[in-house]
Amino acid sequence: MTSSFPGAAGAAGAAAAAWHASEDLLASYAAGTTEAVASWSVEAHLTDCGSCRAGLSAHVDPERLARNRSALLVRAATGDGGRVRRLLRRCGVPDHVLSLLAATPSLRVSWLLSVLAVIAVVAGEAAAVSYGWIPGGGPVTGHPGPAALAPFLLVAPLLVLAGVTAAFLPVFDPAWRLAVAAPFSGFTLLLIRAVCALTVALVPVTGIAFALPGPGWLPVALLLPSLALSAFALAAATVMDPRAAAVTTAALWALPVLLLASADVPLLIVTPAAQGAFAAVLCACAVLLYLRHDRFELGWMR
Amino acid sequence: MDEMTPNVSNAAVRVDGLSRRYGAIRALDGVDLTLERGITGLLGPNGAGKTTLLSILATVAEPDAGQVSVLGLDPRDGAERVEIRRHLGYLPQELGYHRHFTVAAFLDYVAILKEITNRRRRAEEVAKVLTITGLEDRAGTRIRALSGGMRQRLGIAQALLGNPKLLILDEPTAGLDPEQRLRFRELLSDLPGDPAIVLSTHQADDIAAICPQVVVLLQGRVHFAGTPAGLAGTAAGRVWAAGERDDRAHLSWRGGDARWRHIGEQQPAGAELVTPTVEDGYLLLSHAAGAQ
Repeated sequence: MTSSFPGAAGAAGAAAAAWHASEDLLASYAAGTTEAVASWSVEAHLTDCGSCRAGLSAHVDPERLARNRSALLVRAATGDGGRVRRLLRRCGVPDHVLSLLAATPSLRVSWLLSVLAVIAVVAGEAAAVSYGWIPGGGPVTGHPGPAALAPFLLVAPLLVLAGVTAAFLPVFDPAWRLAVAAPFSGFTLLLIRAVCALTVALVPVTGIAFALPGPGWLPVALLLPSLALSAFALAAATVMDPRAAAVTTAALWALPVLLLASADVPLLIVTPAAQGAFAAVLCACAVLLYLRHDRFELGWMR
Repeated sequence: MDEMTPNVSNAAVRVDGLSRRYGAIRALDGVDLTLERGITGLLGPNGAGKTTLLSILATVAEPDAGQVSVLGLDPRDGAERVEIRRHLGYLPQELGYHRHFTVAAFLDYVAILKEITNRRRRAEEVAKVLTITGLEDRAGTRIRALSGGMRQRLGIAQALLGNPKLLILDEPTAGLDPEQRLRFRELLSDLPGDPAIVLSTHQADDIAAICPQVVVLLQGRVHFAGTPAGLAGTAAGRVWAAGERDDRAHLSWRGGDARWRHIGEQQPAGAELVTPTVEDGYLLLSHAAGAQ
């Protein structure tokens, strides 16, 4: 970076030709130990003087030069992560946490698009049946039939669960062995990823629930079940194989939902009484997770 | 980090009566070993238990029975396990990559897992290992676009992050061509900080070239631990060169010079004794183990 005053170098060019930087000055400039003002004048002089440039190169430590070049290449290759990342950084999220998230499959655009696609299909089905665009179980006018909501109720929390599961299942982290053998706490890594995956998945689920015909409290009603399922899967992973934990959790949600749907009362699963049960499950799982979090530090092969 | 260096201990690794099963398969069966600092080569066929042993040393897998001490620390203790991991560089046999990452971003990610959170220090550290492994011009390349040999170098680069005191490399030369293997040997011989290195291979010439210590693992047991010269010496007086095939030998093959090389107790007709190599010693050991 040259810091000469504009025009100064050109105007003084002829006069400056008589003056050359001393070896000592060049050496200290190369080592980065010159004072700011001296650095500026050396830089201004170097732009015009070939012999001093040649003299300077003798003082430059090639290893330091190579190191700086590599560090620059690395900074260029890692980049600043784009607009979202800059924004999050400005909001105070530490940069290294954002890098950890970059390796989370359920935060990738392709994953989010699939979530959106699935949720759009089930929500579309519910809307089409309720509004009478296609024949279905519900009445054509007035209050939408609760049966039309069953697929949405079944799928929405499972999508959230899938996002959280993908954040901790080794199959989704190709470099999981490195994460285990590294000193960074496995439990912290898991929590960072799981919480982000949960948040990101809840946005489309809740958003689409607003657009659906049905009780006004539907978007909020899915919050607790989604949280409880995610916490249950994590807690279960401390006592059994993580894959089995994920499948068990999904089954524990799907079974009652399907049963209630077949009895034509699908909304029972999100009534206040059921919400109380989900809150209890959430608390119990949080406690279990806290007590057994060491399991996540050990690695996955057992 | 330096004020918490592990206990000074001459042995980089010590294991006693180490056993590990996977279902009915006994991967490790009472392994006793002391590995000094310097480079140790772990030699054995596929399925001999090399990967299991290395993943236990790298604190990724747990043993069923036995004592393990890595850098003088016990991996069963939570705090000591983290301390081991702080000084460890590990190249798993099947290192998965986030294929959409660039080389630099992947190393940056691993550097964070190794607790290098300062962004500037991370960039310097990543640049350093890129230079050591000769990948500095690939910093911006996506991993899916790298050749196999380059990926292997990237695997070694990530292991070197954070100046580890112990490097555990599971088949680091797999998939490398002869020239790349030579480069890898050069790289290992002048690593900064002089870490203890344990590497597995099934190439006897890797061992002969770079490892002052060699351990032969067969069917989950240690069959030899010593120097490469010592391993070659176990075949002394039993390696012959002859013009003809001999059926009494344990192993015979025709070399590039069209002469037959025999390993066996009895002298084939017209054969002369030759100086055994590390490979001869290893082949004889694995033959003996197979015959048991």
